[in-house]
Parts: sequence; structure tokens; C-alpha cells
Amino acid sequence: MSDDRSSSESIRRHLASLRRGAVGSFRRTARIARWEISRSAGTVDRRTIVAVAAILVVVGGVGLSVAEDGIGLEDELYVVGVDSDDPYADVATESDRFRTIALEDVRIDEGGDSNVDVVVTRDGELGYVGDNGEQAFHAFREAIEAENADRMAAEDDDVAAYPVLVTVEYQERETGMAAESGDGGSDTGGDVIGTDGVDADESAADDDTEIVDTDGDTAVADSDTTSSDSEAADSGGDRGASDDDTTDAAGDVVGSDGSGSDDDVGSPETTTDVTSPTADGEFQVPDVGATATEETSPATPDTLSPPFPFQSLVLAFLFIVPMNFVIQTYGSTIMDERIKRRGELLLVSPSSRYEIVAGKTLPYLLGLVGIVVATAAVIGGRTLSVAAAIPIALVFLASTFAGAMLARSFKELTFVTVTISVLLTTYTFVPAIFTEVTPIALISPLTLVVMDLQGESVRLVEYLFSTTPFYLSAAVLFLLGIGIYREEDMFAQKPVPAKIVDAITSQIDAVSRRVSSYWSPFVLSVVFMPFVFAAQLLAVALLFVVPESIALIVMFVLAAAVEEFAKSIHVYAGFARSRFEPTIRVAAILGALSGLGFFVGEKITHVGQFVGLSDLPISVAAFGPELGADLPLVVLLALFLAPLALHVVTAIISATGARRGRGTYAVAFVVATLVHALYNLGVILLVS
Amino acid sequence: MAIVEVENLRKEYGGFAAVEGSTFSIERGEVFGIVGPNGAGKTTTLKMIAGLIEPTDGTATVAGHTPGEPAMQRRLGFLPEESPLYEEMTALEYLTFFADLYDVPSEVARERIDRTLDRLDLEHRTRRIGNMSKGMKRKVAIARALVNDPEVLIFDEPASGLDPLTTNYIIEFTRELSEAGKTIIFSAHNLFHVESICDRVAVMNHGRIVARGTVDEIRGTHGGTEYHVYATVDASHALGEISASRENDQVRHVVGGMDDVESIREAVDAEGGRITDIQTTTPSLEEIFLEIASGSDAEGTARSDTETEADADTTDPEEELEA
Repeated sequence: MSDDRSSSESIRRHLASLRRGAVGSFRRTARIARWEISRSAGTVDRRTIVAVAAILVVVGGVGLSVAEDGIGLEDELYVVGVDSDDPYADVATESDRFRTIALEDVRIDEGGDSNVDVVVTRDGELGYVGDNGEQAFHAFREAIEAENADRMAAEDDDVAAYPVLVTVEYQERETGMAAESGDGGSDTGGDVIGTDGVDADESAADDDTEIVDTDGDTAVADSDTTSSDSEAADSGGDRGASDDDTTDAAGDVVGSDGSGSDDDVGSPETTTDVTSPTADGEFQVPDVGATATEETSPATPDTLSPPFPFQSLVLAFLFIVPMNFVIQTYGSTIMDERIKRRGELLLVSPSSRYEIVAGKTLPYLLGLVGIVVATAAVIGGRTLSVAAAIPIALVFLASTFAGAMLARSFKELTFVTVTISVLLTTYTFVPAIFTEVTPIALISPLTLVVMDLQGESVRLVEYLFSTTPFYLSAAVLFLLGIGIYREEDMFAQKPVPAKIVDAITSQIDAVSRRVSSYWSPFVLSVVFMPFVFAAQLLAVALLFVVPESIALIVMFVLAAAVEEFAKSIHVYAGFARSRFEPTIRVAAILGALSGLGFFVGEKITHVGQFVGLSDLPISVAAFGPELGADLPLVVLLALFLAPLALHVVTAIISATGARRGRGTYAVAFVVATLVHALYNLGVILLVS
Repeated sequence: MAIVEVENLRKEYGGFAAVEGSTFSIERGEVFGIVGPNGAGKTTTLKMIAGLIEPTDGTATVAGHTPGEPAMQRRLGFLPEESPLYEEMTALEYLTFFADLYDVPSEVARERIDRTLDRLDLEHRTRRIGNMSKGMKRKVAIARALVNDPEVLIFDEPASGLDPLTTNYIIEFTRELSEAGKTIIFSAHNLFHVESICDRVAVMNHGRIVARGTVDEIRGTHGGTEYHVYATVDASHALGEISASRENDQVRHVVGGMDDVESIREAVDAEGGRITDIQTTTPSLEEIFLEIASGSDAEGTARSDTETEADADTTDPEEELEA
């Protein structure tokens, strides 16, 4: 009884001690954060304040302007010669793209030069002159269509206004895209011609455009809306009549580029089932951007969105812009601590280096969160936009912190921050361009922002797919940086590779203190997984535009090299810093545990399969094929465990080389990479 | 009772031993000097005690706590050789921040900061540190080391690069701290400063402690130290045959020990003059180090004859090396 009492008393004391420790840690972190703010405020002169304020005003202004009025690149692009009392004058006046001049002021030289692009004669004829004339003419006709659409929208009698109603239903796409893509369309009643002019397989039902006319006939079209030549036809035999005659808005079903096919049978009950855009056959990308949404509303052809979300993309980019400025200040404050040795006195205080780094980072993180929230409020983003932008901000800060810990001078820091800006901006922005096209876009959280701005819903798994690598990468980068946030590395002019090895070694030490040094390769292989994942996703994105035959070969080798590096660099660091005994036996044990850790980590990251990324051949090269459910259990088990054997064997190869030094490690690493690449190739050939 | 225990401390950088088997202990209230030429391992030893550098081997404890423990860091005040300050802050802001970091209640901190700055004769405490002179900055750094009222102070070259007036001020202040019961580990090149305030001294060379004992014991064994006493009057008659030369409007007296310095001081006072500066000649200091080092190299064991101390709780570093 008394033992129980003393035991519970001991637990209570332990918990109280932990609570005091946590409170104390929080207080010290908050103090350092508060001090960092007041200290930084002392370093900012008036010119800097004015410059920052100007930047914020510009960014805010651009955001507001774009959010309310669009991009505005085409304002008053064309000149229309029209009398002010002409009905077409209102169209030109109300559209931002046009500027009008009176007919009597129109001048057309003998050489064809003119002060107008489009002319509306007094008898209502339209014509164009000059180099821009044709484009201006088409734009003017689009404006006329829009004007007509507005008038119809204002019409009380919907049936009169919309003889054809369009219901847009976004459906989740089935897998097996490789078999379907490349087919242009299907033909179940009406003739529909796809991009490549090949009739589609009927199984591609989810990519079909279904048009029902008044008499109930159904035509199914594989609408390739990424193409500029999408065509559709009605069931009444009026087929293939796609043309530019879009002034006749009523009854036309128009592809993404605004071209349409005549459907001269008006109907109040026409339904169009349009999937979100799909890619062309060459790259075989499935659709993901517009899943899980459904919308039924009166629409005219010109209201169908193009696949390139230009406006949302520009708005999403506004989240990234301030981050590039904040990391400059953040990098400088970390560098100041090192170059001027000012951080030494904090290190002898009761604060741990974790508290110091947290305290110094917190103001910048909170600042970025504030900017993100404000940006979202300005451009109309919702919670999702904020939740997607914060992990980007975290990675910006974490990589800047790690970079500032590695740089040896402010000159090097400038190189580091510029590199981070370029790489992260590219990594986040470029994939977002393909928001409507391919699941690869989801490697960037900015894609989620674009989707949010487009009003599309996002599944939880998609959010996790986009942001988890960012959260984890940020955590690992901070940990590595904190590992060298100590006197010996902060103030020493060591080469960058030596510091990286030190940073990794600090994590080996951290694991060794808690478990055992032998388990550090296991833990670190799991910890490095976000970088592997991000590197491979980036490679997939970059090689996406390369011809597939080349991309696959490069991807095989690149993916293997990335994985082998992640499995072996910490083992090399441990040997280089004398944390492990350099014997064959120890190398074998470390390699085996590293391989096991990587296997475990790899299984965790197979989230890619949930978002349809595994449909891509190049993705298969990077992440491996999905196991077929129809295979025998023994084969499935073998295929499941084969990667474990691979990772263990190749990690042992690298570890064996690493124990003897840098040169032998490099050779062993190359051998392990080749073995890994050949294995990947073999498995894919076997499965396929 | 020893408050600082250092046992077989070793630090290696890529195969180079910056500190090799340092062992010593320091009693509560003692002023312990560590002297040696540049690169001898003094600063590395002090930083290992302060918890800034992790030893490759060996241990150091302060009041029973190992470096890095918050309880140990609270008991310690550290003044590095170069103590860059946050120049964009005022002295008051800077000291208040560090007091806050050490959980010193704000009222106590304010009173302690005021008292310390008053004693250090530091005005303009609301002036930005960046606008202060080098001596003023050093005083702010010393005040920072004291802001948590530590039991143990580590002063690494506290008067390095300062003018004689400020140097004397700081040395006097250190002496006062010692009298107030603080345990002080003091590192300096200037042997005069060391012997004027240190109870015991460890001489380091090539990362090893090559001599240890009281200042007189070390000087008595190795000698060679010359004190240059600058005065406004000639007092060489007080000691008979000593070297005295006139430099500008001052007279330089060269003597061999602190007793002689005292004699010169009395004679100068009697003549109605004043002493303007006391210096140890650098070559003399280096000669001691070199003599000890070369002696220890010659013996192979690096064991010094000046090892007069036989603390029961300490291990002779040289014996450790032999072992």
C-alpha cells in the first residue's frame, strides 16, 4: 500500500516537474521572441520601413486589383471605330479590352495602316483592318457574345433565354488512365471527335460529355478540354460542325476554346456531363483538379473555364512574394549571431538551443502567418488557402535557418537565400500551373490555394499529400540546423560539407542518448524520408515535360540515387565522426538497420497512391508500381518484402564503403545506386 | 570544498588535441588563474567548463552540475574574451533581457543592474551600446556576466585590448568580487594581473597543464619575469642596483618581483610622485611559458617541477599522460 502511495507520489512529482519544465521552456522561448522583436526593431531604419510599407501597399494593391478586376493585361488593347449611337458601341464601351473612336475619325491609309482595328459600319457590318485586326475582330465578337449572355441572364423567361441548359458535373476519375488516354472520344449516339480524331473507348465514360437534346437522344463525347480543338456534335446528325460562329450563343455547345458545334434544337433539358480537363495522350495524365464538385447551373459556352487558372495563380503567387523578403531578414539575424559571435552569450544562459532557435524564429513565423491571413483576406482565400500557405512559410524559414547555419559569410548567405527563393518559388509555383491538368500539381501546396480560389473542394488526403512533405521537411531542416547551433560549429569557418556531416552527427548523438547509436541509422532513414519524397516528386515534375522514353531512364537512376543517399549519408557521417567502430560487422548492422528504417518510411509515404499519382508511368518509375490485387498471395508477399531486401542489401553496400572514408563511400554509393536502379527496372518489367 | 571539478578534460579537433587531460579543482571563493601563450588551450578549457564546448573526453562540474544543465548555467557568469554585444540595444535593455532570461525578478534585476553599473562607473546606460567606447562596452559585458548573481565567474581575458586605466578598474573590480565570495576563473596573458588577484595558477602550453601552484611558487621556480614600473619620479635608489631609464617625462623601473614593485611604490610615494603604469614585459612572460614548455618537452612526460600542489581529490595530468 505504501509502495503504491510512494509510486503515485513519484509520478505526480515527475508530472509536476515536467509541467514546470514545459512552462519554463515556453517562458524562455517567449522572452527570446519578444527580445528578437525589440532588437530587430532597433536595426530597422526609416528607409527600410518606408520600403517595406511600399512593398506591402503594392502587393496589397495588386491583390485587390486582381481579385476585383482580373489581370488587366488587355485593357484598351483594341480600337473599335463605331458611332456612339450604334448598338455595338455599348459592347465596346463596356468591355475593358476596347477603346472606341467615332467613324468619322477613322483613318485607313493606302498601305493598310489604320488608327482602328475593328470597324462597325453604319449598316451594322463588322470588319477589321491592320495586323491586329483579326484578333481584335474575334475579341469583339466574344464581347458581343458576352453582352448577349448578360442580356439573356437578365431575361425573366429562362426557357426563352436558354434553349439549351448545361449541367456541369465533375466526377472522380477512374484509374486505368493509361488504357484510356489517347483516345479522343466515344460514340454512343452522336458523333464526337476528340483531339486526335480517334473514337474513344466506351469505358472512358467518366471523361465523356453527355449531351441530351429534346427528344431524349444521348450523345457521349470524350471532351478533351485541354485541347484547343474540342468538338462536339448533337445527336440529330448535325455533327462535326464546329466553327467560330459563336455569335449564335443559344443552342451551341462550345469547347474550352470557345469554339462550338451547332445544336440548333433548342431544349430546356439539355444536360452536359463534363469532367475536368484531361491531358493529351502523350503524357497520359489523369484528372484530379476538379474532383468531388458538382454544379448545375444555367451556363453559356463562354463561361466554361479554361484549363489554365491564370487569375487564381497570380493571386496564389501573392502568398509567396512576402516570404522571399522575410527570409532575408531572418537569415540575417541568424547570421549576425554567428558572424559577430553574439549568440555565444545566449548559449551559456539557461536557455537550450531549441528554445533559442524557437524564440528567434517565432516572430518571423508569426509575421508570415499574419501576412498569409491578410493576403487571404484581400484576395478572397478561405481557411484552406491559409492552411496551405503556412507549410510553405515554414519551409522557407527552415531552409533559410539551415542555410544560414551553413553559410560562412553574408556573401554566402545571399547566395543561400537567393537559391532558396528560386528553388522554393519554382517548386511551389510551377506545379500549381498544372492545377487543372495533372495530379503532379498537388506536390505544391500552392495548388491547394489555386483550387481554393477556384472554389474547388479539396480532400483531406490531397491536403496531406501536398503539405506533409513540407511540414516534415521543415521539421527536419530545423533539427539539422539546431544540431549545429553550438559554439563549435556556429563560429567556426568549417567547409559546408563538414558542417552538414556535423549536423547529421548531432542527430546521431541525439538518438544515441535516447536509444542506442546502432538505431540511429534506422531513425534517420525514416526522418530523411520527406526529402526523398520531395526530391522524387520534384524530379517527376521536372521530367514530366521530357519525352517519356528518356524521362523513365533518368528517373530510374535518379530515384535510386536519392534513396541510396538518404540511406547512407548518416552512416557515413557516423563513421566520419568516429561514432561507429569502422568494422565490417558494424557496417553490416548499421546498413541493415538503415535499410529497414527506409523500408518503414517508404511504406508510410505511399500516400501518393491515394491521389492518383501512381497512374503516371514516370511516377511508377519513381515510386514503384502498385501491386495488382489479382496476384497470388505468395507473389504479393514477395513483392511486398522484396523492397526490404533491396534496401538492406544496398544500404549495407554503402555502409561498407562509408566505414573506410569518403572515396570508398562514393564508389560504394554508385554501386548501390546501380543495383537499386536495376532492381526497379526488373520489378516494373515483372509486374507489367 | 571544491565548487569546480575538472577531471581529465580533453578536446580534440580532427585529430588535433586542443586540450589534453586537464585536471584541477577550484575551491569556493578562490580566484584561479589560467595562463599560457596563444593556442595553449586556455579558452577551450574555459568554454568546456561553461558548457559551450562539449569535451571529447573527461568531465567538468560546477557545484555538482554538469555543463548544459540549466541549474549549472544559473550558477555561472561567463565573460568571453570577445563579447560582442547587441549594439542596437541600450545597455539597460540588454542587461534587463539577460536578467529576464535568468529568471531574475524584474525589481531585483533593476536594483542589481543599477548597483553594478554604478560600481563600474558606467553612465549613459540608456545610450545605445553601438555608440559606446570599447571600455564602456566591456563594462556592460561584465555587468551582464553578473546579472544573475552567479557563484562562479569565468573571466577570459577581461582586460584584453583596454587602456591601462580601464584595465586597472576591471582588475580592482574582480578583486572586489573575489572578496565578496565569488569563485573566479581568470585567464590572462598579463602575468601581473594574474598574480595580483589569483590565489592559484595553472600554466598551460600545447593543450596541457604544465605547471600549477601559487603564483610565487611558479615564479620562484621559473623566474624571468620583469616588471616595468612607470613613475613620474626616479625611485631606483630604493632598491639599489636596478635598471631605471627615463622615457619622455616618466621613469621606467625594471624589477624582478612583486616585493620590489611594492618597494618602488613606497619610494615613489615618498618622493611625492605617482605610478602611472605597471607592465610585465611580454618576452619575460613568454620566456616562462617557453621554459616550462621546453622543460616538459625535454622530460617527455611534461611534468613540471612546480607541481607543488598535491590535492587529494585531483589527479596529476602529467601522471595521467604517463599512464
